[in-house]
Amino acid sequence: MEAALKLWAVVFAVGALNYFSRLSFIAFFAKRSIPPLLARALKYVPAAMLTALVLPMVVDVSPTGAISWSIAKVAAATLAAVVAYFAKSSPKTLIVGMSALWILQWLLP
Amino acid sequence: MRHLLASKDFREGFIDMLPAGVGLVPFGLVCGVGAAAAGATWLQSLGMSAIIFSGAAQIVTAQMLAADAPFAVIVLTTTVLGLRLLMYSAAIAPYLKPLPEKWQRVLAFMLSDQVFAAAIRRFHMDDDREAAGRHFMGSGVALWVTWQLACTAGFFAGYLIPTSWSLEFAVPLCFIALVAPLFRDTPSVLAAITAGIAVLALAHLPMKLNLVVAGLIGIAVGTIADLARERWKPR
Repeated sequence: MEAALKLWAVVFAVGALNYFSRLSFIAFFAKRSIPPLLARALKYVPAAMLTALVLPMVVDVSPTGAISWSIAKVAAATLAAVVAYFAKSSPKTLIVGMSALWILQWLLP
Repeated sequence: MRHLLASKDFREGFIDMLPAGVGLVPFGLVCGVGAAAAGATWLQSLGMSAIIFSGAAQIVTAQMLAADAPFAVIVLTTTVLGLRLLMYSAAIAPYLKPLPEKWQRVLAFMLSDQVFAAAIRRFHMDDDREAAGRHFMGSGVALWVTWQLACTAGFFAGYLIPTSWSLEFAVPLCFIALVAPLFRDTPSVLAAITAGIAVLALAHLPMKLNLVVAGLIGIAVGTIADLARERWKPR
């Protein structure tokens, strides 16, 4: 396949499939009622999914399953989490987290 | 349309999302650099960010295109990576039910990690579904616009940023800002802890399946804790 054509084909296919995932249940439940047990489970989607998403960005995990971490990153992320918990503010979390990382990286070469 | 853009809720949603949009700039820069490395033109790079509109899927697509992976493999891998969007779709569905179908279709396109978290929070606070829907639209538009700018900037100038700045660390910080305030009840904390342990323990799974599996395990634990709490509630 020609490179440019393949790239556009991939972009449209990936975009379409992502869109169908996003629309799936919104469309499905638009005219149906949601079972109570499922409604209860859905309350825990944000906490579980976002934690699963963020942890591998802070702790390094190799494809073989070996885990390694830098103290600076873990400490900065923990401090940011405390700020986020109390302040509920994205800018404050970002400023504290990035500053902590830079200071710790400078202190612990 | 003009009515929507002028509404207070739309504007609030737009402004509320700007800090998160700025936080995602480093992520967008990385995606732009990836597209350039894969040999894309600027128009193709813009097409990736505008149509796919998912950082994780864009990076994987760019890397696999650069490695000349077959069409089917790229599409399959990004679809597995996008399975979490199914969960977001299900979680937001009850709130979008009262809105017109046209709105549901447009809002679905904007359902990304950041917008989902912000929209869920707003729907919890605001019983007026239409107002919360306009807020959702504002957040989505804000994130989509900043995302295009960040990815395009990355495409042209991303290589100029020194790696010693560790700008990519802003990506997890954005997610931490969204998730940490949720840790206020026992089932949510248990759901997060089990999902966190599972995502690391299952890191060897192919195609980042550990994300989805860990999410499902965390959701199951949260639900069980929720049911247990109700059963043993002091009467």
